[in-house]
Formats: sequence, structure tokens, C-alpha cells
Amino acid sequence: MLARIRSLGRALAGRSRFEEEMRIELRSHIELRVEDLVRSGLPREEAERRAQAEFGAVESVREECRESRGLRWPDEIARNVRYSFRMLYRAPAFTAAAVLTLGLCIGANTAFYSIVDAVLLRPLPYPEPERLVEIGTSVNGQVIRTNQNGAMWEAIRDHAAHLDVAVYSGGSLGVNFVSAGAAEYVRQQRVGAGFFRVLGVAPVVGRGFNIDEDRPGGPPVAVLSHSLWQRALGSDPAAVGRTILLRGEPYTVVGIMPAGFRTNAIADVWTPLRPSRSGEGGGANYRIVGRLRPNTTWPEAAAQVEVIGHSFPGRLEVGPEVKATLELVSMQEGLTLYLRKPLLVLWAAVGAVLLIGCVNIAGLLLARAAARRREIATRIALGGGSAAVFRQMLTESLVLGVCGGTVGVALGYAGMLGLRIMARDVYGVTQPIELDARVLLVTAAVSVLASVIFGIVPALQSRRIDVRSGLMESGGRAVARGAADWQRRMFVVTQIALGFVLLVTAGLLIRTFTYLSGLRPGFDGTGVIIGTVSLDDARYATSEHVNRLFREGVARLRELPGVQAVGVGTTPPYQRALNMPLRRPGREGTSQITNVTYVSADYLQVLRIPLLRGRYPNERDGSKSAKVAVVNEAFVRTYLSREEPLGADLNIAGGVWGVVGVVGDVQQSAGWGNAGPIWPTPQVYIPAAQLDDGFFRLVHTWFPPAWVIRSQLPPDALIPAVQRAMRSVDPQLPFSGFRTMEHVRSQSYAQQRFQAALLAAIAGLALVLAVVGIYGLIANSVTERTRELGIRLALGSTVAQAVRAAAAPGVLLAGAGVLAGLLLARLAAGVMAALIWGVKPTDLSTYLAAAGLLLAAAAGASLIPALQIARLNPSRALRYE
Amino acid sequence: MPLPELLPGTLDMLILKAVSLGPLHGYGILLRIQQISRDVLQIEQGSLYPALYRLEHQGLIESEWGISDNNRRAKYYRLTSGGKKRLRNDRARWDRLAAAVGEILNATPEEV
Repeated sequence: MLARIRSLGRALAGRSRFEEEMRIELRSHIELRVEDLVRSGLPREEAERRAQAEFGAVESVREECRESRGLRWPDEIARNVRYSFRMLYRAPAFTAAAVLTLGLCIGANTAFYSIVDAVLLRPLPYPEPERLVEIGTSVNGQVIRTNQNGAMWEAIRDHAAHLDVAVYSGGSLGVNFVSAGAAEYVRQQRVGAGFFRVLGVAPVVGRGFNIDEDRPGGPPVAVLSHSLWQRALGSDPAAVGRTILLRGEPYTVVGIMPAGFRTNAIADVWTPLRPSRSGEGGGANYRIVGRLRPNTTWPEAAAQVEVIGHSFPGRLEVGPEVKATLELVSMQEGLTLYLRKPLLVLWAAVGAVLLIGCVNIAGLLLARAAARRREIATRIALGGGSAAVFRQMLTESLVLGVCGGTVGVALGYAGMLGLRIMARDVYGVTQPIELDARVLLVTAAVSVLASVIFGIVPALQSRRIDVRSGLMESGGRAVARGAADWQRRMFVVTQIALGFVLLVTAGLLIRTFTYLSGLRPGFDGTGVIIGTVSLDDARYATSEHVNRLFREGVARLRELPGVQAVGVGTTPPYQRALNMPLRRPGREGTSQITNVTYVSADYLQVLRIPLLRGRYPNERDGSKSAKVAVVNEAFVRTYLSREEPLGADLNIAGGVWGVVGVVGDVQQSAGWGNAGPIWPTPQVYIPAAQLDDGFFRLVHTWFPPAWVIRSQLPPDALIPAVQRAMRSVDPQLPFSGFRTMEHVRSQSYAQQRFQAALLAAIAGLALVLAVVGIYGLIANSVTERTRELGIRLALGSTVAQAVRAAAAPGVLLAGAGVLAGLLLARLAAGVMAALIWGVKPTDLSTYLAAAGLLLAAAAGASLIPALQIARLNPSRALRYE
Repeated sequence: MPLPELLPGTLDMLILKAVSLGPLHGYGILLRIQQISRDVLQIEQGSLYPALYRLEHQGLIESEWGISDNNRRAKYYRLTSGGKKRLRNDRARWDRLAAAVGEILNATPEEV
């Protein structure tokens, strides 16, 4: 076997040499024979004739020799490919249409697959990634989150014997980093003892964190990323043991991670998480990663984790009367919990457009096959064999597929570059996205698969061609063309149905986007910029220090020319706020949840959040005076609807606050509840001056306060002045992340915008393809039926009647497609219900608009070719062939 | 005199045998088979080369360019170790077959 492959390989690689040698060998044989014959007395001329005759037909011997060498198939394939290119070259319009269609569809799929692959499919970059798990909380069999509170972490740590576990914090925060005088803004992620061990990646220098370092009050130590080590410490081999400053505090470097190591978040430096049951650990703020211990199977570990869930139901932290369980999920699944669905939905849409493209090309090929009946019948009549014709047709499809795939890779690369940025900004994807061998392999497979899909029906069609009738009939003389036409109609219906599904889903996502962007903000953001600075800093551990910074900062910023008003608060609109349990005195037992934001005296006025009742917080609300709070309308609706809100007492964060005012709602991005990406969340505003040290430390762990500045100056002119002013208050605070309120607002529904835009583009492509499909069908039938239409006109049919007769099938087919698509669209809308806000999945107007758009496009695409009839000259048409 | 036709499959064996006696070019193989069989076996010239190419493809013989007796470039074929094995097997089979056919043809009424 090996010898045969080698011999075939040699013959293929040195094809011209093979042919040349064969020629020499056969000629030398004949010459030797001639000489022998001459020697035996024959005249040379006669000898040559005899030798030639004895040998037989040289060309057929050669062909047999080639076959012996296994060259028959490669030869036929090469011949077919050459022939295909010739055929495609001769039909430039068809070829361009098909290659462009395919290129667009495959390009879209390549680009999108590069994201799907990076996020959902490619194994995580750790050893034995399939043994890495996370602990998820599941309600009704659906994992709702993979973060847990400190108590649950302790339960898992102490009882999940089948797992080697570590706790970590899912995100990273920007912090101030100082080493040897150089300051830098870096990303810090907090991870527990054993985190690197569980992932299976050891530091290149030093070690990870031990248990003594990973408990409250443990020594401050840090592990650096390879790039930070190179950048900030000059790749110092003795870096372990050196001291760096993080957030103004000294940390000892204990380890350096290898180059290319990455976690789920963008991080330059890791510090111990120090998990606890209170404070941060009082809520579900930890992630738990585990590795199956050797000789442990997944079901064993999963069963153990489930038992732990049942043993500590109180630690699951879901609302009352909700039955939740603990569930083992793969780490990859855990990390992509909220990405999986949107990506899969979009992927399905991108896949559907490829299918439409394939159906479209299949239709074009069928039309071509009909026009090529004579050619094919001739080939069969000349002994081509219908199997050979079938192979030839399939080869043409494959050649098209490969051309389309090549164009697709080029378009896909461009698309991937764009999508890569959006995937990072919109979905927070940290995995590298690229067109690597994996993606290209899938693209190649898709191209081949696509060419088979669109090539098989026309190719099979060619096998049924009856040679006699194929040769007899001339081009377009046939009136009706049974099977092929029927199949083309089915193709058009399929296209319309799929196109309808895409239009409906795109419509629903667009409606979602317009709903979110149209929500009443509840404040006046024009001319407001916000800047954040992390106060998770040793120098701001007390209420006194924090409030002094706020007072001095606000005063200094107010003095800037052009600045109208300044305030500070934890969470500006559209951002995610701290949420806390709320208890009402006298109503203990019912646990409720609300957002809590601390504000400087002017904060609400700066944003012009309207006062509805009572008063705003003011300068007189200090640490000595009565504790006051201002709530929003949503809070009143949710918790105080049956009582007088003013004067109500709220028990939050270990204190009791009296409500003194009610303000309007603003949109917040909520990490809780189920009302959409942004909604008017119940909100409590508390004067910053009245909060204690513990509250500030808690809130500053996650939320850097935002300074909101209203000014008439353009942001570019304002920001440097603000930075200078703040440096004069505290030179060590790196003010960063200045954004306009408008930017914050659009960022809050960026994902919905991205989804709407992507699906709108996909649906647009589908619509164009459907129009092309219908146009092709009708134009073709008008051409084919020219003679028939001529007869009709000659017999007294009016032009309008003939046009109607020609165009009607297009509209009817579109109608059938819409009906077929209705059910599919309803199913698709149900699947993507989680991506839709502010509009029902069954929204009638969206469905009607999609249907109207499709039918109008179909009518146009049918009428334009049908109108050709008007220019028809009956006498010429009758003679038309 | 009409020449006997070769039994199917025997051409390969004859070629292998011919080149087992020493490297030969195609025409030489033809001559040697005729010569040894005393012109009883005539091989159709056109069918020789496809057979040679097939045997080489199967790794039973290998070829090398050389110079023929009359100073011409010619391709010489020689047996490979795989070819030797095949020749041995074919030969044993042929002998069994020939013996069995011979037995039948020599059978007398008494033996039945």
C-alpha cells in the first residue's frame, strides 16, 4: 500500500517527467523492434510499419499505463477542474454572483466563528482543561450564576473532597502601581490560595499564595504577570522579595507568572483574595474554580457538590421560595455563562444566511443546468457516461465553493478585525480572537459542505436528463419544465422562509435597542462628564479622610472657569450600583434588596434628577445630625407604596435612615432583578458625610466613586484642568476614565446595539439574496416562456395579463415562504426571548413589517423581469428560440 | 500457427520470472519470454507496458535508466524483495494448479 502511494506521489509530483519517460520508453521499444525486423531482412519502411502495427495504438497503451500507476482519478479530477474553470470563466455574471454570494456568507461565518471558537469552543489555556470546574447555582435545572458567598466557599472548601478548589474574584480593578519610583495604572485581580495550582500553571519564578497569606489580616504579597515584570521591574531575576506599592500600600512580590498566562480577566498583578463570610463575602461575590482530583470522575464530584448544596440551603442566596441547587459546570461554561446564549443565537443567524446563500446558488445552478441540457446530453451521447457528468457537475460546485471560500476568508479576516474589537468592548472577551488554523479548517470544511449542499441537487438533476429529448429540444422551446422548475420554486420558498425568520429576529433586536435607547434617562446629562478614581486605598480607609477629599475636591473643581456644578457619588446613571439587603424596623423577617448610592450634598442637583417630594440632601446633613436618606420613585413603588414615604425608617448597612425626600427614577444597570439590561432600580441615596469607615471600605472594594462635573466647556478642554485641580488636592490619586454622560449612556446598551446591528446586517444580506433568487426565477421563466407568451399575446391576451401571469408566481412563492417562516420565526423568537427587552417575542407589528418588507421586495423582484414582456414583439417572440 | 493465448494473470508471473534472471528493459522481457518458451508464447506488445507499470506501482519490480546493448537509453526493470516473494507464491500456486489440472487430464476410467 505504502509503495503504491509513494509511486503515485512520485508520478504526480514529477508529472511531466513521468510522461516524458513513458514516451521515451515506448519509442525505444518500437525502435528496437524495428532494428530487429530490419536485421531479419525487412526493408526499413516495412519494418517500421510492422513494428507500429504490432505495438498497437500508442496513446491507448499510454492511457493504460497511467491507469496502472493510479493516475486515472487524479487525471480526471484535474481535467474536471480545468473544465470547470473554463465553464465558469465563460459565464462571468453567474460566476461573479455565486462567488460573491458565497464569499459574503462564508466570510460572515468565518468572522463570527472566530469569536465563537475563541469564547465557547477552544479549550481553556490550562493543562487538562476538561477537568476544571466551577460551582454554579442552579434554579429549575438552569445555572443562573457561578459566583458564591463566603459561607458557601467555606462549605465547598471543607466538604468537596473530590475537588482541588480555589476561590477567586471574577473581575479585575484598575489600581495605582508604584515600583522604584515609576508609577503605572495596572489591573489587579484578587485570587485565593492554590488558585494557580488548581489552574495547573506554576509561576516561573517564586510561588503562588499560601493559606496564611490568604486570610484577613494576612501579609500583603503579590504575584506579577510576566509582562508587568518585564515592563516595571526590567525582568529582574531577583524580583521575588522586592517591594512594590499597590494602592499606596507596600506589597512583597512572591512570584512571577509565565509569559502568556492569563485568567478570565485582564490582569497584571494578583493579590490574595482573603475570603471571609462578612463584608464582601456576605454576598455572592466569589467565584470558585476546582480541578477534579486524580481518579475522580465528573459524576462523583457533581454528586458531592449537589449534596453540599442541599446541606447548606441558606447559603445559596436566592430569593425566598426559590428552590435552588448547586451544580458542577465546566470552567469554560462557567466563565461564559452570560455569553453563550447571545453568541449562539447570533451564530445561528449567521449560519442561516449561509444556508440561504447555498439555496440561492443551487437555484442559479439549476437554471444553468436547464440551459446546459444540450451540452450535457451531447456529452452523454458522446460516451461521457452520466456518472462522469455527475462528477463533473459536482466538481464545478466544488470549484465554486473553493473560490467562494477564498473570497470568504479575505472578507472574514476583515470582519474578524472589526468583530474582535466589538467582542472585547461589548462582551468583555479576553481570549485572543484570530483566524488561526482551527478557524481556517472550519472555513474550508464549510466551503466544501456548502458546495455539496448547493451542488448536489443540480448534479443529481443532470443524471435524469434524457439524451434524446435533450438533444432534440432547442434551448428554451419547452413550455413547462417539470422537476427543475419545481425544485427552484422550493428553493425560493426556503429562502423566503429563512429570510423572514432573520428579518423578524433582527426586527425584535432593533426594537429592543430602540426601547433601551428611548428610555427616559430621568436626569439631564448634557454637558456632564464623569471621572472615576479608585479609593480602594490605604490612605482613604476612614470616613473622615474620604469626606475631606470630597469637600476639598468639590471646592477646588468648582473654582475652575466654566464649571457650573460638581458632585461625587458612587454610581452614576446607567452604571451598576452596590445593592444591599434592606430591612424595615418592625418588619424584620422580610428581606428586601435595594441599590445604595452615597452622594455628596450637590450630587442630585448636578445631574438635575428632579425632586418630587421633601428635600434634597444638603450640607447640613453631617455625621452629627440625624441620618437621612432620599429614595427614588421606584423605591416608593416597590417598598413604600402603602405608607407615607417621608419619615419612613430604613435599616441599611447597620444604620437606620429616615427618608426626607423622594426623587425621580434614573436608569441603572442592575446586577439583580430581571427587568432588562437597564431599568429604574429601587434606589436609596445617602449623604456621604453620614457613612462610617466600614461602609466606605466595603463600597470602595468594587466601586470607585464618580465625580460628576457640569460645564459648558468641551470635554477636551475641561479634562486637563480637572486633572490638574485634583492633583493639587492629592498628587497620588490617578484620575482616569473620563467619559461624557452620553458615552456612559450608549455604553450601557452596547451589547443590544451590537446584536441589533449585526442581525440587521445579516437580515439585509438575506433579503438581498432572496430578492436575487426571485428575480432569477422570474427572469428565467420569462426568457424560457418567450414563445408561449408570444402566443398568448398573439391570441389576444393583454400585456397586463401576461405580466401578471409571469410575475404572480414570485409573489405567491414569497407568500408561501412567509407562511412557512411564520412558525420558524415564532420558535426562533422564543429561543432568543432572553435577548429581547421592551417588546414581546410575538410582537405583531414586527412580524407584519417583516412580512410586508419581504412581500414588497418579492413583488418588485418579480415585476421588473416580468415587465420585459411589455417590450415583447409578438411576431418576433413566436420565432424566438 | 496460431499461438496459445495466455491464461489471465499469468503475464505478471512471466514478467516477474523474466526479470528475476537479471535486469531487463521492456523489449528484452518480451524477447526473453519468447526465447525461453521457444516462441510458443507471444505476448501482445501493447499489454506489456501497462503490466510493467502496474507491477512497479505495486512495488514488485523497480526500474532504473541505463544504456542498452546498442547504445540507447532504456529503462531496466529488476525484481524487488517483495517481487521475489510474490514470484515464489505465484509459482507455488501455479504448480499446484498445473498438477491438479494434469491429474484430471490424465485420469483413466479405472481411477474414477
